Amino acid sequence: MTRWQRTAAFIATRFASVMLTIVGATLLLFLMVRLVPGDFASVMLGPRATPDLRAQIVHDMGLDRSLAEQLWLFVSHAATGNFGEDVVSHRPILDLVLEVIPNTLALAFSALALALVVGIPIGVIAALKPGSWLDSGLALLSISFITTPTLVVSVVLFLVFAIGLHWLPVAGAGNPGDIVDRLQHLVLPSVALALGWVGYISRLVRAALLDTLAELHVRTLRAYGVSEYRIVGLFALKLALVPVVSILGIGLGDLIGSSVVVEIIFARPGIGSLIFNSIAQRNYPVVQACVVFIVAFYILANLVVDMINALLDPRIAAGRG
Amino acid sequence: MAISLRNLSVDYSLPIGTAHALRDVSLDIQKGEMLGLVGESGSGKSTVAFALMGLLANNARVTSGTATIEGRRFDLTRPNATAPLRGRGMAMIFQDPMLSLNPVFTIGTQLIEVLRRRSPASDRKTRMAQAEDALAKVKLGNPKQRMEQYPHELSGGMRQRVVIAMALLSEPALLIADEPTTALDVTVEAQIMREIIGLRDRIGCAVLLITHSLGLVTEHCDRIAVLYAGERLESGSVRDVQRQPGHPYTRMLFDCEVPIDRERHADAAQNRFTVIAGELPDPRRRPPGCIFNGRCDVSFEDCAKVVPGDYPVAGNAAHAARCLRLVTP
Ligand SMILES: Nc1ncnc2c1ncn2[C@@H]1O[C@H](COP(=O)(O)OP(=O)(O)O)[C@@H](O)[C@H]1O
Ligand SMILES: [Mg+2]
Repeated sequence: MTRWQRTAAFIATRFASVMLTIVGATLLLFLMVRLVPGDFASVMLGPRATPDLRAQIVHDMGLDRSLAEQLWLFVSHAATGNFGEDVVSHRPILDLVLEVIPNTLALAFSALALALVVGIPIGVIAALKPGSWLDSGLALLSISFITTPTLVVSVVLFLVFAIGLHWLPVAGAGNPGDIVDRLQHLVLPSVALALGWVGYISRLVRAALLDTLAELHVRTLRAYGVSEYRIVGLFALKLALVPVVSILGIGLGDLIGSSVVVEIIFARPGIGSLIFNSIAQRNYPVVQACVVFIVAFYILANLVVDMINALLDPRIAAGRG
Repeated sequence: MAISLRNLSVDYSLPIGTAHALRDVSLDIQKGEMLGLVGESGSGKSTVAFALMGLLANNARVTSGTATIEGRRFDLTRPNATAPLRGRGMAMIFQDPMLSLNPVFTIGTQLIEVLRRRSPASDRKTRMAQAEDALAKVKLGNPKQRMEQYPHELSGGMRQRVVIAMALLSEPALLIADEPTTALDVTVEAQIMREIIGLRDRIGCAVLLITHSLGLVTEHCDRIAVLYAGERLESGSVRDVQRQPGHPYTRMLFDCEVPIDRERHADAAQNRFTVIAGELPDPRRRPPGCIFNGRCDVSFEDCAKVVPGDYPVAGNAAHAARCLRLVTP
């Protein structure tokens, strides 16, 4: 087999296992949602709840059917992209989710890109002179980024740049048609979301680089006069990025978790704020649909991570890591 | 132009104390010649190589030593003294070919990187052609295809050829080969040695062959230097030393060495010298007198007190050994 055939086979097997994982996770999710205490009908209707209204809503949500029936309906509908109609807004749940997903994706990817663009160079610079003042300073900076909760960062950015200085907009995701407006609305939330990741990525890159720099092939390059900048910034970095990328894949769940906080503080429509509001209303069908999307995103993102790693390290596609 | 190394001393700082890995080691290699540096594992052979390259571990300190290469003198106690020579005046082949290439870059990229250093002015196409040519010269089949391959697609012997091709491309005045065949199959050993000799003949460089195999030295080298516990105990032409070893240690080595025609162990690590009774001295505290005193079979009183000088053997100025017997009637 050629390298490309091997890579293609690798991706195909990974994709099949991804699909199985999504199905499994969806089933698990379905059962878990039903175990959470609290009852949508009473929460939504409050003191107005009459037995008739309750019965109506329970029926609309399909909660009066047997669990097996509910499961079958959920799975067969979800498979065709039909998550039912929202009892609150009387709109298809799929529309609600699809409406906000681009906002969350824009937030997550801009934060991740920002974190990579800033975090990798910091890690490389720190690894160039381990133990130096610069290294220690960057370590302190990175660790303070990691340990400051996203909530605190968001609130501070919000108060200083949006409320205090009026440099950037206060809330929302901006006018749908206006790119500049949308980008302006994206700045503070993505910085808030990225900051911890800058610290995280720079520490990961530094540690992986120092491990790699101790390997013998680095000595070969040094013996042949390759400059330290090219060794650290190119030859060792490519190898060091493999573990970093793997860990990033696992950490994506955390990124989505933090985006809930950021979306709430900046009043940004997104999957985070949709889940938050739906949980507050015990609107389980919506929560369920959101989580299916998040799980699918997480798993697909990990597929992408594996593919990036197979591109970085040819031994992965060849089946010996 | 001859290469010379004078009075090289290297210390390693340990968690407790300092190990004196090399003490006043001097070597000379003529252009086009191959010097065999032999010694047991731990005698300091690799330390000599990396001190010359300026690539010692961080806890190492060169306390004395100068090298003369291509007519220029380098003070080895200065960090990175020989850095300008790396990849130009000096090249090195390593002990473990499985680990000496970067696994995520193609063979071609790594060869071309050597040329970036060697001939900064040339363009990528020229470099590609030169790299392919070098692979062909070290007898790696399908050079064009090899350029696109990654190290894991090649065997240990092939990878060692790639490193030899790197050395070839850098056209050094001094080539250091640190146990280039120890990690390889015996069947590959002869081929790799042939490529190293081919490289020397092509470029006319001096070669420092580090090995613990006297067989390789007697077969391929012009001169030999014997290292023991960080001290050079004997040096001379292979013929002279073999015929009349000036130091008891050298004699014991020749007595112990497995004959060349005897089958070697598949596990390279076992192809060591047969054990000579006794233990290596503590590298942290050099005992007084001769360093080999504790294990010597012909030592006498003075050996425990007097540090022997480098005495000529049989009146031959080109053959010297550090043994008091040579100056004691
Ligand atoms: N980085 C290091 N730190 C401490 N001791 C070392 C280090 N490298 C080598 N040594 C010691 O120095 C001595 C010589 O090592 P080396 O030059 O590798 O010997 P050889 O190549 O002949 O086997 C050995 O005793 C070894 O344990
Ligand atoms: Mg060694």
